[in-house]
Amino acid sequence: MSEKTTYTLPIGPIHPALKEPVAFEFEIEGERIIGVDLKVGHVHRAIEWIGMRRNPIQILYLAERICGICNICHPLAFCRAVENIADIEVPERAEYIRTIIAELERIHSHILWAGVAAHEIGFDTVLHLSWAIREKVLDLIEYLTGNRITKAVITIGGVRRDITKDQYPTINEALNYYKENLGALKSVFLDDKSIQMRSKNCGILTKEDTLKLCAVGPTARASGVKKDVRVDQAYCAYGDLDVKPMTPDVVTGEINGDVYDRIIVRLLEVAQSVDLIEQCLDKLPSGDLMAEPKIPKLLAILKKTEGEGIGRAEAPRGEVIHYVKLDGKNEAPYTWRVRAPTYNNLLAWIPMLMGEQIADIPIVAASTDPCMSCTNRVTVIRNNKKKILDNEKLHRLSIEKTRRLSV
Amino acid sequence: MKKQQLETFKKSLWVFHINTGSCNGCDIEIVAALTPRYDIERFGMMLVGTPRHADVLLITGPVMRQMKDKVKRVYEQTPEPKAVIVVGNCGATGGVFHESYNVAGPIDKLIPVDVYVPGCPPRPEAIIYGVAKVWLKLEKMGAKK
Amino acid sequence: MKKLTSEEIVQYYTDEFKEKIKDARIEKRSAGSKKKEFYTIWLKIDKSIFKEAVKHLCEIQFPHLAVISGNDIGENIELIYHFSLYYGERLEEISINISVEIPKSDPKIESICDIIPGALITEREIQEMLGVKVENIPDNRRIFLPEEFPKDVYPWRKDEKGPQKLVRDMYE
Repeated sequence: MSEKTTYTLPIGPIHPALKEPVAFEFEIEGERIIGVDLKVGHVHRAIEWIGMRRNPIQILYLAERICGICNICHPLAFCRAVENIADIEVPERAEYIRTIIAELERIHSHILWAGVAAHEIGFDTVLHLSWAIREKVLDLIEYLTGNRITKAVITIGGVRRDITKDQYPTINEALNYYKENLGALKSVFLDDKSIQMRSKNCGILTKEDTLKLCAVGPTARASGVKKDVRVDQAYCAYGDLDVKPMTPDVVTGEINGDVYDRIIVRLLEVAQSVDLIEQCLDKLPSGDLMAEPKIPKLLAILKKTEGEGIGRAEAPRGEVIHYVKLDGKNEAPYTWRVRAPTYNNLLAWIPMLMGEQIADIPIVAASTDPCMSCTNRVTVIRNNKKKILDNEKLHRLSIEKTRRLSV
Repeated sequence: MKKQQLETFKKSLWVFHINTGSCNGCDIEIVAALTPRYDIERFGMMLVGTPRHADVLLITGPVMRQMKDKVKRVYEQTPEPKAVIVVGNCGATGGVFHESYNVAGPIDKLIPVDVYVPGCPPRPEAIIYGVAKVWLKLEKMGAKK
Repeated sequence: MKKLTSEEIVQYYTDEFKEKIKDARIEKRSAGSKKKEFYTIWLKIDKSIFKEAVKHLCEIQFPHLAVISGNDIGENIELIYHFSLYYGERLEEISINISVEIPKSDPKIESICDIIPGALITEREIQEMLGVKVENIPDNRRIFLPEEFPKDVYPWRKDEKGPQKLVRDMYE
């Protein structure tokens, strides 16, 4: 006779990179998970409600602080929505600069994720190695925009800062640094036996489930569904560049949809971003930076505009969509709706976690790169006695499993 | 007795990080302070997994309604002597979220705070400076007694 | 999977549902130096044919549901479902937005979770944020608001049921 025990999973406060806390409830038989239930919603800051009281330029600064890691894609999607409504034409030079900054952000986010994933498996050395490599991209972002994290370069109708010819040598030096060091990062992740043992055939998401649950981003691409807003509905300068959605069969020849495939997709995308930035720098056209440089005039135009529109962008984690409705009487929008990519990937956790062991929960949950900040607790109920298992213990279980496998 | 406790502070500070609903910008800069570029680990400081081992609490984010009692409980679980550092603009005055229906107020209404590190997000150097100020403040408090 | 242009999709809908389609418009935007265009379709349909309209869309290709947004316009609530088709092919994707109006006196709509299981989270959200009742939803609990939030307050509404009383200015 088997005992049924229920778990509620907490993801502890030490994790960077998360937007909403998640509580799971697992039904466990021994060490295997047989049932999953999801509870979300602890970081609801009422951003959309605040946004309906401020004018569009103030909303740009609010949209940046929705997530500290995907800092460019939220203002970019909002600007595209407003530009679609008011029919503002963005100059070409501004489109190319927007593309360059967005790709720099993708590099920084994927390397951050690589460190966090290694930390979950138990390799703290790789965490320190990848975050040290990431500092080079942050230096470059600071050189171009003025700040490491909240950049504030994108505005309605263009960009606020320029990339001049005397900045090119620094950019090229940083890109060459990445071309040399990506090989080291790839061999650490893809050729290491322990990482392969922990991540292959673990947390599988089939192609059918991906389509039905509407998953987006590298999570979907690793399962074979080629959804990528940069390719499908090319915005900014992506229509002129050579972009392809990255799937794992480029490296391994087959698509399994497990954690190993997601690692491959993200590392391939870093290499693709370096290539895209070089293409943009070659083709950078000359011209204005903003369609309307005077802000009071821009706000006066938007106050009289009426209509609704959507704006989509490709964040490092997937598709971001903003819906804006302007009513022509106030400066503040009538409605503003934000949807971040992790929203769609939450339901994908349920088929991924069925049948896995408890020690695999951190790596499977981290492999979809969730953007939530969490503070829930795990309760183990066994024979009507409650035992609390928090993030520290789960993390230790994960590390012990790695040690067992590598002996 | 107090002087003896402060001796332990001179050796290494163990830090516990609480996220009460922030955008994670401040959290990334805290973890970046541990990595080889800024390397706070050479002073012996490390992030621990439970408040019962901690000397210093690092709190980020505007306090959400759901997180109010949890923050108070964590503060009570931390043993004396302890210090509280608030990182970022959100905990100090609300930052961009200052008028919202789900925010339970700045952190100093719930627990006593020792040092504020302003910025959105503050640089890792600023966070290290804030921790150094906590050190000096605790030494001064110990010397008065 | 059928391959249609945006005008043909609008025609496909008006042929099937005739006068229940209240409004249809196509927007065209372009980006980049080569100015490749992409299309967005906005359809306004009557509440009675809502579920058939979604099934009709699935016959072209299984769509990607991005999110459901809501507007509070006086007497009615307008729900907009953001779909997209033909993802996966270079420069071919078409966004389709289907909007439905339901009266505030009887705010009910059917769930599409049996056709598209990924709609669960967004349907739970409009239930608690706008006060809409989604029928036959597999899971009825609150999703983003805390447990102790009052039951009758709907944050996205602009009338007396909005959250004005709960706002605290942090400077006090």
